[in-house]
Amino acid sequence: MTRHHAHEARQQVSDVAGPTLRIDPSVCDGVGICAHLAPDLIALDSWGYPIIDDHVLVRKRQQRQANAAVSACPKKALFISG
Amino acid sequence: MSGQNVVVDRSLLGSAIAHVPRADSGHVSGISRMDLTEHRSHFGRRHPSHSTSGAALIDELAAVGLTGRGGGHFPAAAKWRSVAAAGPGGLVVVNGAEGEPGSAKDAVLWQTRPHLILDGVVCAMETIGAREGIVWLHQGADSTIRSVRSAIAERAAAGETDGSLRVVLAPDRYLSGEATSIIRTIEGGPTLPRFVLNPAQPWSDGGRPVLVNNTETMARAGLVALRGAAQYVPTSLLTVISRGHRSVVEVTADQTFGMVVAAHWSDFTAGVPQAILLGGYGGSWVSWTDIREMRIDPAALKPAGLSLGAGLVGPLPSTACGIEESTRLVNYLAGQSARQCGPCVFGLADVAKLCDDLTAGALTSTGRKRLVRFMDEIAGRGACRHPDGAIRMVTSALHVFGADVAKHRRGRTCNAKVFGVMPLPGEQS
Repeated sequence: MTRHHAHEARQQVSDVAGPTLRIDPSVCDGVGICAHLAPDLIALDSWGYPIIDDHVLVRKRQQRQANAAVSACPKKALFISG
Repeated sequence: MSGQNVVVDRSLLGSAIAHVPRADSGHVSGISRMDLTEHRSHFGRRHPSHSTSGAALIDELAAVGLTGRGGGHFPAAAKWRSVAAAGPGGLVVVNGAEGEPGSAKDAVLWQTRPHLILDGVVCAMETIGAREGIVWLHQGADSTIRSVRSAIAERAAAGETDGSLRVVLAPDRYLSGEATSIIRTIEGGPTLPRFVLNPAQPWSDGGRPVLVNNTETMARAGLVALRGAAQYVPTSLLTVISRGHRSVVEVTADQTFGMVVAAHWSDFTAGVPQAILLGGYGGSWVSWTDIREMRIDPAALKPAGLSLGAGLVGPLPSTACGIEESTRLVNYLAGQSARQCGPCVFGLADVAKLCDDLTAGALTSTGRKRLVRFMDEIAGRGACRHPDGAIRMVTSALHVFGADVAKHRRGRTCNAKVFGVMPLPGEQS
């Protein structure tokens, strides 16, 4: 996922209900492990903090990656909502 | 000239002009304080049979289109409904810890119309079934704190049973005024913003429902409750920043920025400004040509991508440099980060550093690209809107002061003669 893509994703409000990957940015320490585990959903910004694609997780592969990132985050900053 | 057509007993300040020193937490002059007796004879009594409360009051707030006046302009009726739906036993907070260092309208309202605001709080408590009302103020705002404490004492002495109203003092920081900072403090945490999944119900799971409204919003709710929606005049409170002082004025939606600046900006005699900073330090620069004819009407500003924000109008003299001024402001905003979210802590610091380079005439073309990319990366990624405001201000500066950008880029600086136009906390008044 490109940075541009991630930015576009942030700008859109999805009107389709379903699970999305979310982050509490005040808890995140920029460890960065999430971007390796969920490359389709997460890119790191210039300071090493994750930019999240918050579209609805429709595909199995996306859901697998999101789950892996959520459980690996040492700060518990990531979660799936909806 | 300003506010001539505002009917006094249906407006907050009428045609009076309040003066406040340039530095923060100032003492208000120009408008006298209404004590409880004067307030009651001027605005009428707050009595169950005379004033509106409950669902009817929420309908009236919706009918007059009341929005939050702290910056976000979220519809007040929707917020009240959302808190009421969470059930009784909650808390009403009136936020008087004005985050915007330039804005003085909260101080003016607290020091001249304290009972109008407190009537708004009491009606909100009745409406959402709250047990407690909190007045949230900056700890350094001495004149404001005195006026609020006297007002609460006057009500107690008059035997008004207002439930429990109390003052809570917040640290003198920019982000103490964030609604989530307030709720977090009330819930026993630090006075720092936090991330909320559902902005309509920003309190913790299982916590007490909390309604937070800005001071002006609560004063307007008080006005609607006392005078009724049919009598309501949709005005705006603006803080106009001059070199020597600040003026707070109430204006109707048919007035233009040109009229207000000509009437209330004391530096106008030296010529028209080149631009104004609109809304707050996290607001937008707009060129004088573009803003002059615009009406001071949130609905008219919206299509132009502009907002009254916290009501700040900061004219920039033609002898000042918009890039220098914006660099000064973004450095202040970066320094006010709550230091929780990476994109805000590191991103804003880098943006401020690149703006320093630009001001010093040392920004390379790579640096210019980095500045734009950094701002693109930061947008929308904080737990609160603080970084977004800083980015909005810098982005508008690069656009409005394009000629100054070009001058600074050629390894030179501009020939500005005036510096430090917008007041920052800690500087001398």
